[in-house]
Amino acid sequence: MSSNITIKVNNKEYQVENDQTVMQALDKIGFHIPRLCYHPKLSIEGACRICIVEVEGAANYVTSCTAKVVEGMKIKTNSAELRKVRRDILELLLDNHPEDCNICERDGNCELQGLSRTIGIKKKHFSGEKNVHTIDMSSPSMTRDPSKCVLCGRCVRLCSEIQGVNAINFANRGFNSEIMTAYNAPISESVCINCGQCITVCPTAALSEKYHTVELFKELSNNSKTKIVQIAPAVRAAIGEAFGLEPGINLEKKLVAALRKLGFDLVFDTQFSADLTIMEEGYEFLERVTTGGVLPMITSCSPAWIKYAEQFHSDILPNISTCKSPMSMMSSVLKTYYAKKSNIDPKDIYSVAIMPCTAKKYEAARDELNLDGNRLTDAVVTTREIAWMIKSAGIDLLNIEGEEFDNLFGYSSGAAAIFGVTGGVMEAALRTAYELYVGETIIDIEFTELRGFKGIKEATVKMGDKEIRVAVSHGLGNANTIIDMIKKDPQRYHFIEIMSCPGGCINGGGQPYPAGSGYIALDEELMKKRAAVLYDIDRGKTIRRSHENPEIQRIYKEFFERPLGPKSHKILHTHYDKKYPEGIYRK
Amino acid sequence: MAKPIENLKKIKNEAIQDLIKNGLLSSTRIYIGMSTCEIAAGSKEIWNAFEKEINEKGIKDVQLKQKGCEGRCNLEPTVEVLQTGKIPFKYVNVDGEMVQEIVNRHLVSNDAEYGTRRDNMMTDPFMLTDRSKFILGDVDFFSKQKRITLRNCGIIDPDSMDDYLSVRGYEALAKVLEKYSTEKVADEIEKSGLRGRGGGGFPTGLKWKLVAKEQSAEKYVICNADEGDPGAFMDRSALEGDPHIVVEGMIIAGYAIGAKKGFVYIRAEYPLAIERLRKAIKDAKKYGFLGKNILGTNFDFDIELVLGAGAFVCGEETALIHSIEGNRGTPNTKPPYPAVSGLWGKPTLINNVETFANIAVIILDGYESFASIGTQASKGTKVFALAGKINNSGLIEVPMGISLKEIIYDIGGGIKNGKKFKAVLTGGPSGGCIPEQFLETPVDYDSLKALGSIMGSGGMIVLDEDDCMIDIARYFLEFTQNESCGKCTPCREGTRRMLELLTKITAGKGEEEDIEKLERLANLIKKTALCGLGQSAPNPVLTTIKYFRDEYTAHVKYKKCPAVVCKGIISSPCQHACLLGGSGAPSYIGLIAQEKIDKALTLLYHENPLPVICGRVCHHPCETKCRRGKIDDSIKIRELKRFLTDYGIENKIQAKPVIKAQKNKKVAVIGSGPSGLTCSYYLALEGYSVTIFEKLSVAGGMLAVAIPEYRLPKNLLNHEIDNILKLGIELKLNTDIGKDVKFEDLKRDFDAIFVAAGAQKGLKLGIPGEDSEGIIDAVDLLRDINMGNKVNIGENVAVIGGGNAAIDALRTINRLGKKVKLLYRRTKDEMPAWEEEVNEALKEGIDIEFLVAPVKVIAVKGKITGLECIKMELGDIDKSGRRKPVPIPGSEFIIEIDTLVPAISQEPDIESIAGGNGLKLSRWKTIEVHPETMYAGEEKVFAGGDVVSGPGTVTQAMADGKAAAKMIDKFIRGEELIMQYEVTKPAAEVELLEMTDEEIESLKRFKMPMLEAEERKNNFKETELGFSRYQAVCEAKHCLRCDKEDKG
Repeated sequence: MSSNITIKVNNKEYQVENDQTVMQALDKIGFHIPRLCYHPKLSIEGACRICIVEVEGAANYVTSCTAKVVEGMKIKTNSAELRKVRRDILELLLDNHPEDCNICERDGNCELQGLSRTIGIKKKHFSGEKNVHTIDMSSPSMTRDPSKCVLCGRCVRLCSEIQGVNAINFANRGFNSEIMTAYNAPISESVCINCGQCITVCPTAALSEKYHTVELFKELSNNSKTKIVQIAPAVRAAIGEAFGLEPGINLEKKLVAALRKLGFDLVFDTQFSADLTIMEEGYEFLERVTTGGVLPMITSCSPAWIKYAEQFHSDILPNISTCKSPMSMMSSVLKTYYAKKSNIDPKDIYSVAIMPCTAKKYEAARDELNLDGNRLTDAVVTTREIAWMIKSAGIDLLNIEGEEFDNLFGYSSGAAAIFGVTGGVMEAALRTAYELYVGETIIDIEFTELRGFKGIKEATVKMGDKEIRVAVSHGLGNANTIIDMIKKDPQRYHFIEIMSCPGGCINGGGQPYPAGSGYIALDEELMKKRAAVLYDIDRGKTIRRSHENPEIQRIYKEFFERPLGPKSHKILHTHYDKKYPEGIYRK
Repeated sequence: MAKPIENLKKIKNEAIQDLIKNGLLSSTRIYIGMSTCEIAAGSKEIWNAFEKEINEKGIKDVQLKQKGCEGRCNLEPTVEVLQTGKIPFKYVNVDGEMVQEIVNRHLVSNDAEYGTRRDNMMTDPFMLTDRSKFILGDVDFFSKQKRITLRNCGIIDPDSMDDYLSVRGYEALAKVLEKYSTEKVADEIEKSGLRGRGGGGFPTGLKWKLVAKEQSAEKYVICNADEGDPGAFMDRSALEGDPHIVVEGMIIAGYAIGAKKGFVYIRAEYPLAIERLRKAIKDAKKYGFLGKNILGTNFDFDIELVLGAGAFVCGEETALIHSIEGNRGTPNTKPPYPAVSGLWGKPTLINNVETFANIAVIILDGYESFASIGTQASKGTKVFALAGKINNSGLIEVPMGISLKEIIYDIGGGIKNGKKFKAVLTGGPSGGCIPEQFLETPVDYDSLKALGSIMGSGGMIVLDEDDCMIDIARYFLEFTQNESCGKCTPCREGTRRMLELLTKITAGKGEEEDIEKLERLANLIKKTALCGLGQSAPNPVLTTIKYFRDEYTAHVKYKKCPAVVCKGIISSPCQHACLLGGSGAPSYIGLIAQEKIDKALTLLYHENPLPVICGRVCHHPCETKCRRGKIDDSIKIRELKRFLTDYGIENKIQAKPVIKAQKNKKVAVIGSGPSGLTCSYYLALEGYSVTIFEKLSVAGGMLAVAIPEYRLPKNLLNHEIDNILKLGIELKLNTDIGKDVKFEDLKRDFDAIFVAAGAQKGLKLGIPGEDSEGIIDAVDLLRDINMGNKVNIGENVAVIGGGNAAIDALRTINRLGKKVKLLYRRTKDEMPAWEEEVNEALKEGIDIEFLVAPVKVIAVKGKITGLECIKMELGDIDKSGRRKPVPIPGSEFIIEIDTLVPAISQEPDIESIAGGNGLKLSRWKTIEVHPETMYAGEEKVFAGGDVVSGPGTVTQAMADGKAAAKMIDKFIRGEELIMQYEVTKPAAEVELLEMTDEEIESLKRFKMPMLEAEERKNNFKETELGFSRYQAVCEAKHCLRCDKEDKG
């Protein structure tokens, strides 16, 4: 029950709601207490002790993140003694930190660095031994440098509370405390699903994506290859933030121009292959519905989700659509249809994907996706990486003239754009499936009940004689809930969209650090602004259904003949197997 | 209507019938201590030996029974023999041979008789009026204890439900089930004043009420048996000795708070406690004290054991709960408290083993009885694990409010090996070090907290003069640092930085600002750490800084470890203990061991300007700290030094000091004692022109006139003085400064002056009649004898005092053929004189009366005829750490003497120098100087030796002279007078002689060869004869060569 109470902050009275923490109350009054381990979307840890305040009558300093406000509480937030103590605590963290800011990836958007400035550390008093750990480079998606870890535990809580993966936890004691995988296995052998969400909440560069920028720069100067790049929908909705723009600005055209300036020969749009995915996935769904196939069918675009299912829910693998993701479909057509059409040896195509996602790096490396033994996607870089590359190459992204995608795979429907936000794939699929099944054009094209950031969204769509029950989840903790539901009640849904990251791809593990734009990770306001870009693209298109995309129609005419045909089966579909994280158990 | 009390009665009757049937009244019962500690001391073998002996002898009607620990660690294994109609016997430190004898005495020949206490066959003539006191035996240890929680430990068989039932077992449970509402139970506990024994001291009854008032279908009781303090073992002993008492306490708690389930969280390292507890729980279930419908009521309660992996932090309740839940044992910020949201989010009561062990007795005897023990705010008793440098180490239970002093001296029997008490650490690694001045502090939660320590779970570690407080603080911080869960920043990172600072200080690399840094970090951690572990981790550091700051300063500034412990500073203990600061002992001993005698001698000459003298009369603090002495006997360093100088004299090997170019600067040295000689020596080496002014007609100061010829032959003294004078030093005898030469003239003519005039004026006894004829001060007497003057003493002499001067006077007078005795007010143990000197005096047939003090001189016509004395006894510990002598009223007696020689102390006699010369005198009439630079505050003037310190040792005087020489050099050069200190380093790198332990063991060690008492007691021949080469080499080979040890 919430009612107003009076507290005193720095000797002035304030009316605040009860039943909240001191930190929450102070935030509302306008005192932003420095903090580190606290994250509003995660459970309260109370470990870093940075957010201490003085409470009259308390024997020790009080952590504002854990203490509740009570009537008559007298709080001091900024006394000289408190400032000294807070400073010293932060220094203790810095003393065991490499402090190599000038060569660090997070320089400029590092929370630890920011705190050091805010709190005002000018001189070190207690310097001593630092923990030095080896960097774990085993994962295709991410890099872990425990030397930079400040043990705030946000990654641990995120991995457990939001994603339900529990790939990492605290180990060892005291000064030797460390966050590690089970049995300290390399990440690649752990249950980590590569979603990279931990990277977005990490206050330092202890967690980051596995960089491909150096190899990519090298390949871009290799003239013997045709360098083709594709851009995922969510990238254009967020990359501006990395250049200091407010969130919510679409930089699609400027990005295309910048990529050409970087040296790519062709710039295609993953949204094209998203339309292709809808064709295949839509037909697959209808086939399952009409022929009594395994239902509910679950989407397969999110590679972290695929690994999650392969590890933890191998019994529902038959439910997952066999369609490759839009990224892999694009790479597939590049090295088959496009290569043939342009008379290029597929080996001479260097296929690059710019993704909001760290798990896409893992997807690109999956052997299941190889075609005739060859990699389809040669390199995946995240939004953050490409932003850096553009800056590093001296390209003035904000001021260059925008350009259009290259033809052939450059055009997309509105349905494809919304792939980048939770519920988008389902919405796009329904637009096409409805028409295919019912035979007439759907009028109410926007499925509002599938939009927004509720963890699990449900809808029922009447398709002619059939009531199709669909569900959408984002964040793997929610996925787990849905899977538990369908294990109990297999008839409950026909079609489920699962996105690994909260909010979908717009909040992927490879998106710009929100710290740069004044937001914090997992902030719904930020997600809304990014989502709005994609919904606006959709609304701005005349063609808003995938099957109406003329380039899609051409590729079927010229190459695939028909969805789910033998050629598309070979090129556009894949398979899944139970995965055994080797660091924990072997087959 | 259920009738628990009646039901219990039935169970008890059956149990008693069982006991009788099994021979309670007819047979002999032999109880053998079978706790972990007893087993470690060998009690299992004792058990087997008894079985074998009894079987072989075919003896019937004997029961072997196990018992728990009664807390006397140093007397284990213990055995008790109980025979119907006979007085019980108790045996301690039992071994296999004793088993045969015990069986023989009690079961074969039946002639067991009481021995005396404290011999190996200890028995006590106490009747069975107070069973526990009787069984426990040794009154000294137990008389100040009050055993409530340990009341059955060491008395009953812990595995026997019958035994427990026979000591009112489960009566408290039956009582509450039948007569008390749940509220009343908590009420009784609250009114008893019981506070949590795990360390926090939260009122137990209040805690129970807080959990009781929570509305929840599920609640839990947890017994915290995660005992983890180094040195604390009371929970283990209690569970091993009397597990049912804890079980009963938990069931009552469950009843009071409305819980149906209890957990005992116990560390897996306690296998025997676990086994006993398991059996107790199983038996309790069998008898209906646990499970459904307890004692016929509708109350259900069950207990489960959870084994902890031994993380110290799991003693913290929220961490413990996480551990039971199967998670990583890390604490949570409180609130919420476990009382509201505990195990699996349910209201949970957590109490410590000892707290639960108190419950039954409070219920049975009523809260008033419990509340009558202890202090206002701390009721009842507390169990402590008494450990460290204490004679009676063990487990004790004392009433709250008892003083630390009573615990340490009355129960603990004082400090081991007569060493000096330094501090007591309570509360283990979370506690603090309490120094001597607070020994009267009553032991209760609040008094200990006020001193910066805590009650904790009851570890009590006694530290003595050989413990370095910084090393102790470092040890405990290392523990907490390792055991920190790593969750919160201050504890995880801060304790490591503190440990680094302490390590730096103990390595001799500390800077003065490090102490402030330590304090800053300690206060930071205390005020910001998440849980009790972190908040209390700095306590050992904070209290040692508070109470032993001078030790920190010694390490940081002077690079001294006063306790001679810190490896990085001391190099080797002998060398560090030497006041000369670098005697080179381990190096020349190493060379002697290698039979490189010439090299060893060269090294000795280089390090010590007066080696002949030191080899005879040094008080050798080096030997006191020698590590070999902790194994068997200290290396006889003084004797080895003397051996080298004897060798040098015999082979005419001279020291070859290197003298720097002449500086044309002059220094005057007043006094030719060890301080003046040393100062002159080092100044001469630096190239100064030194003139020594000596008041007497001989040089050497006290060395020449106070030390008797039989200890330091004059020819050898003069040989040593000549060697120093050979450096070009001028000696002016018979020159009294102030009379023969004016001090102002010295100031005018010399560039610096070193006053080393000594302290020769004997102090008065301060008793009536002291001005009578026939009273002569020891120093005056010795001087006259040494200088060959006529002395006027009678035939019947008494010497008063306990120092070396007293013994010298005593033995000298004896050599003159007079009847002489020594009167000393304390006992031999407290005598400041060298023990070997006292022993030699006794060998020479001299009478020493201890615990006697003079009261007044009896004189006839102004001439002494007798001395009235009073007998003394030893009272409380005084500031010097010794027991204070107090007169026994009415014990006065008179001895007849014609000469009295007081030898109590001396003071300087320097009016003629100090008067009007700006020198400041202390109230002991010594010259006040800057303690590091020896500068006397007056232009050009430095002072050292006895004239500054009062009567001291030869090496102290030499050390002053050496320091003064260094500072005088700086002064004349116009440099700032700052003493630079460095850690002790070996004087030379001398290789270790590789020898096997067997080889070393096979070498004999020799005593210093002496003239027989008969051959020496009538003359002044040197009594010590010196080591032979073989003897010296054998001795040197036993040196552990600490200087070669790893500095870590």
